Amino acid sequence: MAEVMRFWTLIVSCAALAFAGCSSENKAEAPSGSAPAGKESGKKITVAMLPKKKGVPYFTSCSEGAMEAAKELGNVELIYDGPTSGDAAEAVKLIDQWTAQGVDVIAVSPNDPAVLGPAMKRAREAGIKVITWDADSDPQNREFLVNQATPEEIGNSLVDTMAFDLGGSSASGQVAIVTASLTAANQNEWIKYMKSRLAKYPRIELVAIKPSNEDQKLAFSVTQDLLKAYPGLRGVFAISSVAFPGAAEAVKQAGKTGSVFVTGLSTPNDMRGYVNDGVVKSVILWNTKDLGYLTVYAARALVDGTLKGGETSLKAGRLGEKKVVGDNVMLGGTLTFTKENIGEYDF
Amino acid sequence: MKYAREVALALLLVALLVAAAILEPKFVTWRAQALLATHAWELAIVAVPMFLIIVAGGIDLSVGSVVAVSAVSFGLSFERGLPVAVCVCVALLTGLVAGCINGFFAARTRVHSLLFTLATMTALRGIAEGISLARPFSGYPESFQRVMGGWFPVCAFAALAFSAHILMTKWRVGRWIRALGTNETATRFSLIPVDRLRFWLFGFCGACCGLAAVILVARNNTAKADMGLGMELEAITAVVLGGARIEGGSGRIVGLFLGLALIHESREFVSWHWKQHELNLIVVGVLLIGAVLIDQVLSRRKQAAFAHNG
Repeated sequence: MAEVMRFWTLIVSCAALAFAGCSSENKAEAPSGSAPAGKESGKKITVAMLPKKKGVPYFTSCSEGAMEAAKELGNVELIYDGPTSGDAAEAVKLIDQWTAQGVDVIAVSPNDPAVLGPAMKRAREAGIKVITWDADSDPQNREFLVNQATPEEIGNSLVDTMAFDLGGSSASGQVAIVTASLTAANQNEWIKYMKSRLAKYPRIELVAIKPSNEDQKLAFSVTQDLLKAYPGLRGVFAISSVAFPGAAEAVKQAGKTGSVFVTGLSTPNDMRGYVNDGVVKSVILWNTKDLGYLTVYAARALVDGTLKGGETSLKAGRLGEKKVVGDNVMLGGTLTFTKENIGEYDF
Repeated sequence: MKYAREVALALLLVALLVAAAILEPKFVTWRAQALLATHAWELAIVAVPMFLIIVAGGIDLSVGSVVAVSAVSFGLSFERGLPVAVCVCVALLTGLVAGCINGFFAARTRVHSLLFTLATMTALRGIAEGISLARPFSGYPESFQRVMGGWFPVCAFAALAFSAHILMTKWRVGRWIRALGTNETATRFSLIPVDRLRFWLFGFCGACCGLAAVILVARNNTAKADMGLGMELEAITAVVLGGARIEGGSGRIVGLFLGLALIHESREFVSWHWKQHELNLIVVGVLLIGAVLIDQVLSRRKQAAFAHNG
């Protein structure tokens, strides 16, 4: 026992020594000399950006935009890190670590808002500014959300794209919607705006809305049934990421490539084959690079005080003025992938 | 020297902290350390019974899955509207029962614990996913989060580690455990209740996993079936790094504590300094290799000393 006690004394004194010697914080502020004069002033800040899952092409593409913005601003040090497993508990560890480091802003795309909530709260209590991007958490736990697209924009964009694919303003024909499930909140919101947008195109007729229950096979057979029931069908909106390839496959197998067009929201990699086949003329998504870019600009503006409650716009570098609605910074605008440009995107 | 292992670990730990203090002054502050430490307690709490089982010549691979089952049972009972205190009991009891299943195999079969805990590891993870339908359960009261996320885990670990230390150094049971890990046949012939000892070691381990689950749920405000994934590896690494022989028979709690501290600090520091989360995993592997190398050096020196004296 005596030996044990001697041993513990040794450890404790060593540890005390290490702590005492080094815990005085006299770290010099990193020079912000790299920022060219005339650009946004303000001291150098650190922004930590957390994706839902690190390493997936979608988020990697967002991070490229974020790095671009950080470089452009010159006075933002960007940390982009997240769990490669998508494990929310690991994400919590990272947020706590950043809190301990005392970064200026933490931008979170929460993969599980309930799990990340307490950590985000701890960060805010420590005086760190917390925003969300790509996906939202409980609004209490963050100051702003960088919102990629409103339901209205998505609905309008879907209808406009379909009309364009069918021949522009003089487009005509029957169209149908294959949705996720009839109770899916997001999709129902989009459908609401799609219906009002369709009024702009009097010769396009919406004939059916069918659920696919997030099942690719069901989306496939539902689309087959639609093709049989409506021989004059010219277009299918497949508005869930699972329904989209299912519907495209049905059109392809029915030999209607070129006469029936499918469109929806997805990433280029998931739909590349169908776009190159010509079954799908356009895939719609928001601009992921711009989303990352805007997030970093929003973080900077938040620290500088130019982004605060009641503000209605935000200057964001090459994106120009972006709308701020309530506590949402709107990216706005969708990106359409077609045969011509899909080769440039890898995610 | 009897404590060569511990001295080596302590020196490594100090070296790490000094390096950290030079490279990242903020890392070596009480505030940062206190915040980072919140993620270490559940592993520490599971590592203590793991240590006892390993010294007794066994191993428990199912700890992570027992944590998951306990967490999910906590979430399910909370969903039923039971008071939080009852939910805590349910989680502890679930852990205990799961541990006793392992204990039953340990006492009644001659199969090595590596095998049956591998089986329960898979089966219990499946049960956790099955009864929860992979749903997360959240929305626990703030007071529960505050109590369980504050000083409670620290005290629980301190109490566990201290009792384990006393048990190993002062009590008869500690001698039995070491004897069992050294030579099972001889231990049986000494009329030591080997089967009962094994049963309760695994049962105790299960209960500790239940406790770790409650802490984990409180801190994350969520109970999910994928909790505690990979925990067994980290716990075993800490035990072996701390100087317990993986074949059983020897080990000290002081060493375990240092092993845990070294794993925790090096992992946090690497991820802090290089800002790449993946490095976390590499650190555990490197430390395990380091532990083996230290063993080699120390045992060679011991042999040399023997040869010299003999």
